[in-house]
Amino acid sequence: MSAVSRDGAAGAHDADALSIGWSYAAKRQMFLAALAAPALVYVLAIAVGPMVQGFLYSFDSYNLIRPASRHFVGLDNYLDLWRDPTARRALINTFAFTFGAVTLEFVLGLGIALLLWRDDWFNRIALGLLLIPATVTPLVVGLVFKALLSPEYGMLGYPLAELGLTSPRGLLADPQRALAALVAIDAWEWTPLMALILLAGLKSLRTDILEAAAVDGANASQRLRLIILPLLMPAAFLALILRMMDAFRVFDIIFVTTGGGPGDATDTLMIYGVKQGLEFFNIGAASAVSTVIVACILVVAAAFIGVLKPARNRNA
Amino acid sequence: MPDRDLGLIARRIAICLVLTVALAPVVWLFSIAYKPTSDIFASPPTFLFTPTWDNFRSVFRYFNLGALLESSLIIAIGSTALSLLIGVPAGYALARAESPRAVWLAYFFLIIRTVPAIATLIPFYLLMRDIGLLGTWWAVIILNTALNSAFVVWMMFSFFRASPVSIEEAALIDGCSDFGAFIRVAVPTVIPGLIASAIFCVMFSWNDFLYAMFLTKADTKTISVALLSAYGTKDISWGTLGALAHFSTLPIVVMMILLNRYFVQGLTQGVH
Amino acid sequence: MKPFIGWVASLGVGLVVGFGLAGARAADKPYEGMTLNLASQNDQFAAVLAAIAPEFEAKTGAKVNVDILSYPELLTKITADYVGHTKGYELATVDIVWSGQFAEAGYTVDLSDWIKRDAAEIKVDDIYPSLMASLGGYKGKQVAFPFAGYANVLAYRKDLYEAAGLKPPTTMEAFVADALKLTDKSKKVYGFVANGQKGPAVAQDWMQYNRQFGGSILDKDGKPALNSSANIASVVAYKKLFDEAAPPGAADYDWGGREESFRQGLVANMQTWSIGAADYDNPKVSKIAGKAGIMLTPSAKGQPQEYGIGGWSLGINKDIDPKKQEAAWAFIKWVTSPAVHKELNMRGAGSYLRKSEMTDPELLAKYPFLPVIATSFEHGDGDFRPRIPQYPELQDLIGSAINAVLVGEADPKTAMDAAQAKAETLFK
Repeated sequence: MSAVSRDGAAGAHDADALSIGWSYAAKRQMFLAALAAPALVYVLAIAVGPMVQGFLYSFDSYNLIRPASRHFVGLDNYLDLWRDPTARRALINTFAFTFGAVTLEFVLGLGIALLLWRDDWFNRIALGLLLIPATVTPLVVGLVFKALLSPEYGMLGYPLAELGLTSPRGLLADPQRALAALVAIDAWEWTPLMALILLAGLKSLRTDILEAAAVDGANASQRLRLIILPLLMPAAFLALILRMMDAFRVFDIIFVTTGGGPGDATDTLMIYGVKQGLEFFNIGAASAVSTVIVACILVVAAAFIGVLKPARNRNA
Repeated sequence: MPDRDLGLIARRIAICLVLTVALAPVVWLFSIAYKPTSDIFASPPTFLFTPTWDNFRSVFRYFNLGALLESSLIIAIGSTALSLLIGVPAGYALARAESPRAVWLAYFFLIIRTVPAIATLIPFYLLMRDIGLLGTWWAVIILNTALNSAFVVWMMFSFFRASPVSIEEAALIDGCSDFGAFIRVAVPTVIPGLIASAIFCVMFSWNDFLYAMFLTKADTKTISVALLSAYGTKDISWGTLGALAHFSTLPIVVMMILLNRYFVQGLTQGVH
Repeated sequence: MKPFIGWVASLGVGLVVGFGLAGARAADKPYEGMTLNLASQNDQFAAVLAAIAPEFEAKTGAKVNVDILSYPELLTKITADYVGHTKGYELATVDIVWSGQFAEAGYTVDLSDWIKRDAAEIKVDDIYPSLMASLGGYKGKQVAFPFAGYANVLAYRKDLYEAAGLKPPTTMEAFVADALKLTDKSKKVYGFVANGQKGPAVAQDWMQYNRQFGGSILDKDGKPALNSSANIASVVAYKKLFDEAAPPGAADYDWGGREESFRQGLVANMQTWSIGAADYDNPKVSKIAGKAGIMLTPSAKGQPQEYGIGGWSLGINKDIDPKKQEAAWAFIKWVTSPAVHKELNMRGAGSYLRKSEMTDPELLAKYPFLPVIATSFEHGDGDFRPRIPQYPELQDLIGSAINAVLVGEADPKTAMDAAQAKAETLFK
């Protein structure tokens, strides 16, 4: 209320007082700050509070089953994490999964985007249909692929095992291949989204540059390598960073297909963290895992920005 | 036949292959809804089965489908609308502020989306308890809005940065207010981007089951949470899952097919 | 001239009758207008429970909403409810293995005194002592009241045993030998199946077999003894069964895959919870209708005849006000009373509790395998999976170790030694 009346009062003698008192640039900055304020305040009030609270739990020994014994333990949760070979393996698996999934999705997505580049009725319908996998809840995606890959009943798993292409136990029970199988499942669900963003990038390319290159005698692969890919950098940046952040937190599909097995082949940080938090109710340890996940995403994102930003600016 | 046509045909065949891979698992998921349990997992697998409506019957018997869809819709639409309402102006402000701090702020919003739920669920739960909204749609809407608006800010930041400033400047010189330039000049140029952001928000809220599971009650439960309850301890009620999946997936598919043109246009703008 | 006095008199009578009726109504429906929310595991009893709850309302006035939840959903939602003191659920189904945790955390009302007080009404003597002790009972407390007892039984294929000229096994030695004999990999017929997927799935199945092989998770003092020689021997035997007698995919089976392999006719033997027993003869669900038998689980020679039991109890949220606790207790007494509980089972709940149910002619006619369950409960042991507060962590360590052994990532001794080392840190 008071903010409005103050603004009203300011508005009334805005012409003299403000234009004399403050430069236009300062006024503009204030206006922009006012536009940004609601979102900032909202996010700070609703999300940041609990997130900070969650972060602070990571310095406590805090189990919901024994709430009375909660106490400050400093960095112990982080040290325990570091000392636990399961957690270290989970960290490695998480990176391997993220790298594998994002790379595969990028390559396939780029191929699909190139196929769908032309804007015609066929491609528009195809694009709509192609996005369907992304609309299925990931938990259900995991259940479906566990069933399809079963060497006994699976439409995929049975013939693969019969032909000797996978171990008789099936892909998901093979320690050497289970993670790769999960990468493929993730790629099934998210490649279309990657393709969509890359397609948007392709469509924003100016056709005159490409035509000029074609006239100059550049062949298809040269055009792709020398012109399209560099110009596609901003779209690629968006697509890669979005997928990277989500792949790092992969949980549902692993939880229902392998539970982190066989052995520890598909244990990831999220699997580890959810187990601590929602199975053992060990909130302190779960929060430490959560912090590590955010830290890893930040590091990878920063590296990304570092590598891609120069390229992006060069082409801007 | 000219080369160009051959190329087109080859491309279309390739697209059909891609579509087959993308859709076959979904078709399988839907198909189990029409199979009796004993036919879902024949070994060796077979395409033959005796069609049945039993699974749909049990969905209608054990789930209040109308209420589930209502909750999902209200939460998805409510949180999307709120996210856009506060996220779009903020994205605009950060894009036009032209300061490195604004860019950092945009990334701060992005990071909010990456914090895993495991550490924050309990604090969120207690927060909703303290403001007395636990078990209501509002609890989920408020929380989804916090996460979605952070994402919207970041998306819209990119879209507004890509849209030209010159028209807004012309409008400002013509005596248009700052707010007028934002609403009447800048926003219309990013409508497709806005739709793209909205679709992302709707999809996130529609598919979310972790927050919805924690924060709703029996009568405010969403369909994604109901899907989870088809997955029990001893056994998975596969037929029920397949039948429920129809209702959880089809609304989003319809939306995708109707809106994907805007989606592409919107993204096209954002990544200039 | 009767006007005035007569009028007063009739008014008086009317008042008395009116109050009397009102009084009677209050006694009939002591919980009128009250609502009890029950968080129920999505097992077979859940739908039946939801269907029968209105009868309790008709009787007492209290409306019982049955919210049917999946296992992870149930556990996280009620824990949040208890920890946040949000009183969302007055009643909840409590898994047998949560007893220790609930006792330690004090989430639910200790029912011991009420059970003692109402013993005659409840007919406590009719409830199997093994169920009372393990479903909610923990170190002198009763954190929940037994509601749905499951017996671990051996489901086997009568036709396959007959064809091979074998008798179903009564000892573990015979069980292993038969499983190997009945396996013909070239025909895709297998003698054995159990859960192999990492996590609770493989841990729970192995713990069951482990006790039958003569192993034990905890030693006499209640401390973990995962790498005892008996336990390692049982891991070796379990792996041998997986390698030589189980469908290859079993290494990644959870409950769904395991049950499916039996119902599809791939396997000759499977230990399972009695709750699924009625399904095997239902041709809509099963391809082996009429061919399946249910019998007692075997034990190693020289071991006492003990049978694994599991199941669910009903707990009352400690945070709710006394009047509601009383109503919740009335509901528990009602739903576990002989007549109502029998009715639940007539409708297919598959959840047994009382000795009288096992000899009930109507139930027996419908479920001829009840004597097997009766014997299992008679000699039942609810601690095959130790119901201690550290159970979730222990289960996870076991689930990881056994799965690693099954897929050839670790040998039994190394895996169990490593699990033991970690388990010991939980008991400091």
